[in-house]
Amino acid sequence: MNRRQWFGNTLGTLGSAAMATLEAKSGGLPGLPTHKPTAKRVIYLFMSGGPSQMELFDYKPKLVDVAGKDLPESVRNGQRLTQMSATQLSFPMVPSKFSFAQRGQSGAWVSELLPHTAKIADKLTFIKSMHTEAINHDPAVTFFQTGSQIAGRPSMGAWAVYGLGSESENLPGFVVMLSTGGGGGQPLYDRLWGSGFLPTKYQGVKFRSVGDPVLYLSNPDGFGADNRRVFLDALKEMNESKWEEFGDPETATRMAQYEMAFRMQSSVPELVDLSKESEATFQLYGEEARKPGTYAYNCLLARRLAERGVRFIQLYHRDWDHHGGLPKGLPARCKETDQASAALIQDLEARGMLEDTLVVWGGEFGRTVYCQGRLTADSYGRDHHPRCFTVWMAGGGVKPGVSLGVTDDFSYNVVEDPVHVHDLQATIMHCLGVEHTKLTYRFQGRYFRLTDVHGRVVKAVLS
Amino acid sequence: MKVILGRALAGAVWVVAGCASGAEVQFNRDIRPILSDKCFACHGPDAGNRKSKLRLDVEAEAKADLGGGRRGIVAGDPDKSGVMQRVVSTNKTLRMPPAYLGHAALTAEQIDILQRWIAEGGRYQSHWSFVPPVKAELPAVRDAGWALNAVDRFVLARLEKEGLTPSGRADKARLLRRVTLDLTGLAPTPEETRAFVADEAEGAYERVVERLLASPRYAERMAIRWLEAARYADTNGYQSDGPRDMWRWRDWVIEAFHKNKPFDEFTVEQIAGDLLPGARLDQKIATGFQRNHRTSAEGGIVDEEFRVEYVADRTETTATVWLGATLGCARCHDHKYDPFPQKDFYRLFAFYNNVPEKGFVYNFGNEEPFIKAPLPEQARRLAELEEAVRVAQGRLDGLAEVARKAERSWEKRARELREDWVPSEALGLRADGGGEFDGKRELEIAPSTEVRLNFRDPFTFAAWIEPREGKGAIVSKAEDYWEGTGHGLYLVDGKLRLHVVFRWTDLGFRVETEEAIPLGARQHVAVTYDGSMKARNARIYVNGRPMKMKILFDQGIWPLDPKEPWRVGAGGGLRFTGKIDGVRVWRREMAASEVAAVALAEPVSAIARKKERTAAEREKLRLAFLEWGAPEELREARALLGQARIARDEYYETIPTVMVMEERAERRPTYLLKRGAYDAPGEAVEPAVPAALGAWNPEWPRNRLGLAKWLVARDNPLTARVTVNRFWQMLFGVGLVKTVEDFGSQGEAPSHPELLDWLAAEFLESGWDVKRIIKTMVMSATYQQESKAAAGMEERDPENRLLARGARERLAPEMVRDQALQVSGLLVEKVGGPSVKPYQPEGLWKELASGEDYKADKGEGLYRRTLYQYWRRTIAPPSMMNFDSPSRETCVVRESRTNTPLQALNLMNDVTYVEAARKLGERMWKAGATDEARLQAGWRVALGREPNARELAAAGKALRQFRQHYGAHAEEARQYVSVGESARDEGVPLADAAAYAAVGSLILNLDEMVTKE
Repeated sequence: MNRRQWFGNTLGTLGSAAMATLEAKSGGLPGLPTHKPTAKRVIYLFMSGGPSQMELFDYKPKLVDVAGKDLPESVRNGQRLTQMSATQLSFPMVPSKFSFAQRGQSGAWVSELLPHTAKIADKLTFIKSMHTEAINHDPAVTFFQTGSQIAGRPSMGAWAVYGLGSESENLPGFVVMLSTGGGGGQPLYDRLWGSGFLPTKYQGVKFRSVGDPVLYLSNPDGFGADNRRVFLDALKEMNESKWEEFGDPETATRMAQYEMAFRMQSSVPELVDLSKESEATFQLYGEEARKPGTYAYNCLLARRLAERGVRFIQLYHRDWDHHGGLPKGLPARCKETDQASAALIQDLEARGMLEDTLVVWGGEFGRTVYCQGRLTADSYGRDHHPRCFTVWMAGGGVKPGVSLGVTDDFSYNVVEDPVHVHDLQATIMHCLGVEHTKLTYRFQGRYFRLTDVHGRVVKAVLS
Repeated sequence: MKVILGRALAGAVWVVAGCASGAEVQFNRDIRPILSDKCFACHGPDAGNRKSKLRLDVEAEAKADLGGGRRGIVAGDPDKSGVMQRVVSTNKTLRMPPAYLGHAALTAEQIDILQRWIAEGGRYQSHWSFVPPVKAELPAVRDAGWALNAVDRFVLARLEKEGLTPSGRADKARLLRRVTLDLTGLAPTPEETRAFVADEAEGAYERVVERLLASPRYAERMAIRWLEAARYADTNGYQSDGPRDMWRWRDWVIEAFHKNKPFDEFTVEQIAGDLLPGARLDQKIATGFQRNHRTSAEGGIVDEEFRVEYVADRTETTATVWLGATLGCARCHDHKYDPFPQKDFYRLFAFYNNVPEKGFVYNFGNEEPFIKAPLPEQARRLAELEEAVRVAQGRLDGLAEVARKAERSWEKRARELREDWVPSEALGLRADGGGEFDGKRELEIAPSTEVRLNFRDPFTFAAWIEPREGKGAIVSKAEDYWEGTGHGLYLVDGKLRLHVVFRWTDLGFRVETEEAIPLGARQHVAVTYDGSMKARNARIYVNGRPMKMKILFDQGIWPLDPKEPWRVGAGGGLRFTGKIDGVRVWRREMAASEVAAVALAEPVSAIARKKERTAAEREKLRLAFLEWGAPEELREARALLGQARIARDEYYETIPTVMVMEERAERRPTYLLKRGAYDAPGEAVEPAVPAALGAWNPEWPRNRLGLAKWLVARDNPLTARVTVNRFWQMLFGVGLVKTVEDFGSQGEAPSHPELLDWLAAEFLESGWDVKRIIKTMVMSATYQQESKAAAGMEERDPENRLLARGARERLAPEMVRDQALQVSGLLVEKVGGPSVKPYQPEGLWKELASGEDYKADKGEGLYRRTLYQYWRRTIAPPSMMNFDSPSRETCVVRESRTNTPLQALNLMNDVTYVEAARKLGERMWKAGATDEARLQAGWRVALGREPNARELAAAGKALRQFRQHYGAHAEEARQYVSVGESARDEGVPLADAAAYAAVGSLILNLDEMVTKE
């Protein structure tokens, strides 16, 4: 598609000119959606580092009987190990230190670490048979977010906005927010919300908790909004003179972008101004939600972004990488995220938005049944495990109260209904009304897509 | 009839538009794009994916009998051709391309042209880009007077065929700004503009072009696109994204463009400079090109998986940059569109598969292989310091006789010494007592804060032991469990073992003696290490004799500093049984001779009394003498030598290194990797180039040097075309082949094939003269046209592919910033050197990764050209990413331009531009006495022209409003003019300074300012 054709070329159409992911309502591709969407938007709660499925959702009572014993070779079955495990002399199995119970009508297993999530278990759809191909963080997160372990492909949000455009006039269509536990955790990379080979305007816009919520949003010190208006009026007048002289649609587009920038200067502060949120809201999300940069705050913001029509809202919470000291680290991460995750679902539902918002929760892989690091009476760790792990979804088009997939007694292998990363991606796109094989971009002579040449929609979880 | 294709082929509209009905259909121009896009995936080169016997990418096969007389294509008879029957079929299960794969039917136009082609004989052509370029005869044109050179003849011929006329020559000032930005990345000064406008003599424009090409700025401008292609950056690019130093390579590139190194040499040196006979330092530095790829230091990665990834990256980058080939598609299977079997990928891969390298790399600097790459002045300084060491050594040698005499006389006194000698240089710990250990006892000899050892610190540990059991700790500063972090000397299965561990599983090193040591015997044990991060450079000694050593683990590349005390008899979860005493820790690596001396139980006094002495005894006596008994003169000479060595060594450390290519002595075998997976080797392959792309000269060596020679061989069909096309893209915004990265059958065919070939052939004939070919382009009338679109042309040719006007394009990302710095007077021009850190919003590094946040430089580092900006790949500079810069993670050659509100915010509010606006405002204010004169000065400085009346009125009105505002709000004015590090010119009254800063910002935000027109 040609950039100039794309923007139209008369001043009359400036209102619909577009930005990065500030794609106007008119954005998106012809022919999309391919079918009636069940979700208008996605909120993806990414737990970076790889939360342990065995301590949270994948209940394995039989492990108690084999605690401390070596993982049988028949279970490992030649599975490749990270370099970290490869030098390990033994692979003693460790059961979860934390207790489990079946929750709600659906009877989904949720551990004591997630009491709030447990309460809304009937609203969730668990996929306990997720599996991936990568065993290290960088390639694994990149795989989840872009469909390829190799850098250079567009992220899921970029695909969504490229294909469907945005419904927000004044906010980006793809927003990213970050939070971390105490320890920092695994780093993240701009490529995870990048546009890859798509034009850069589709990249996710990071909403930050330090400094400007959006980079370069605020006017310089000593240059107030009144001055900015004077400035923009003069700029418009001069650019109009250029437009009349040259008639280059790029000039017209640029003028529209300055107006859009000006609107963002008020829409973004309005977005992050929580003063009108009720006390009940803070009770729901927790007091942490008042503190910029926390996961709870980001969840609340996610709801506000969803209300304003943002297409793809991506949260990351870091530091789930528990190679050692899991019994201390994991509860801390859960405490930081559990209440707000559950609150988001409840809040969306109360506002009638859960039905057209798809919420996804999960990490880049799971963790091993065998211990890594120092195994003591109180402490243990687990290595990366790509063969099975759990994610949950809720809202727009997925069937609540379902647990799909079964793993073996060691939470090592999937025994029923495996769901690959590309399958999950295909399913997310399906909910957005996009048949994943139809959303392609020709680059280097090939029609690329989010799901590469794979992926099948997981129909069993669709409502 | 004009044939207009559907959206999927919109890119090819310029090509096909030429094929009016009646003209002969051309395979490459008209047919290949259809077959490739619609048929090749299942009926093309990929044997594994071929859905039937029919193959359409090879003429003979397309026309072959498939059985029962069925043929895909029957020359001259569309009705009998299977292809035609299937594409027109209304039966959905028969129709091609198949609906079940999501394909739509061919359009009526596509069907029509296929039919005509078959009717005309269905003749194939070799793919255009696989045939070496030759100069076609210059086409005849009606308006011959317009053409200034060959470029124009091709362009004009096409325009005339379309019934179009070229635009007039651009206004001189505008042309000067265009060509100055294009060739140097910076704007002309008002003086340059005045001079050029006034210069009406013959050749004025050519003289400007010559001047610009000779400027070092030209080299900087050319370099940045090459850096993007080379995925050059200052960090490793995966996960924690540690730093690296490749700026010496970057500076090599700048110098190469400045000196106009012919592109063939430029190629050969970067691909294989190290393999040239008598390779010079600069030729080795050049090979950094293929070490610029990302590397991973993520804990737990499988080494081979990533090593393979690096080799694949080099292979794909070579294919993109030189061949315009999407060879990466053949990494997992045969290419689906171009004639590259999967084997071709691994044959090319094999050239790059012989580097002595690892997949898991050092996270705190350059990974091997790398070389010291001193700048000329550093080489001189180092030579001086070497000389100083030689002089000091000479002086000491001159005292040999004095020393011998003094030592003899000291020996007599030494017989009476009561204390034995222990080397005091860098002695960190000394625990003489120790005693009996019962398998439980532990002795803490120093707190964790005393004598800290990190992973790059050299050390020597020594002790006397008398073990009764084969397992125990001797001395350690390590967590007290087996896999714990820290340094430890242990006994395991009777063997001596050294552990230096950060994380047991993957970071640290461990060595042990091959043989067990005897139990029950008193013996001296020592270990030394030089801090080189290599297990093989550790040594284990027993009774002063080096032991044969086995390396158990070798990744000592990560810092460690456990908060553990120094313990004797304990550590690593082990306890000692037996006796330990005389524990020493030195913070240096002892030579073997010194260890032998230290291992002697006999005190100095006893040795001094002996007549016959062993070598070790002589050494012990000598070392003790030097420390205790040397005369002043000797001490001084030794001290001077020591200082000279330190001065040299410290200076040596400051000399930059650069990662380079090297060859392993023994060639690493290469295998085709099934599905591209590192752990699924198939058949073995030898280094070779893709058969479809030209012949191999048997005189070339089968290594990277041969590969490089092949790339720039006269009959290589691609390198010259691909290269001149990138230059064209740089100047005109879009390549003659728009898909600059893909010259294959899915790529776009050239808009002006004969022009592309003429330029490529010209480039070759000129001896790959880069400046000359670029000069040819900018000297053309085509380039010099007015960039304003004639009526209707914006709609008819929005991307200006027909070249009926000059280019009007937003500036490249780095130019937006460089130009702002330049017109404000802030730009600091200095070629080369380590990367610098300009302004960047706080917290960007911190919010994504642990470790230090980005710290902007002070002073000139803020104002250097963007080319020198520190580039962290996982968190690339946001102001560059906002303006469409590639992230430098992978090779990118296509230039991209978007237009977004984030760019508006960036230009309005980023410190860089606010400060530049203020300095531009000061310049304006000082350039005149009235507002009007000052505003005019602003336009002249920034845009090289006078403002028009409308601009003057708008800017003047805003200026007055700003001045009024700041006149009433001095505090705001003070804040506003304090943005940025540079001092404000106090000579400008405050309200004026602020108001002009705001107007400066207006200018920097003008559409024209960020546009080349």
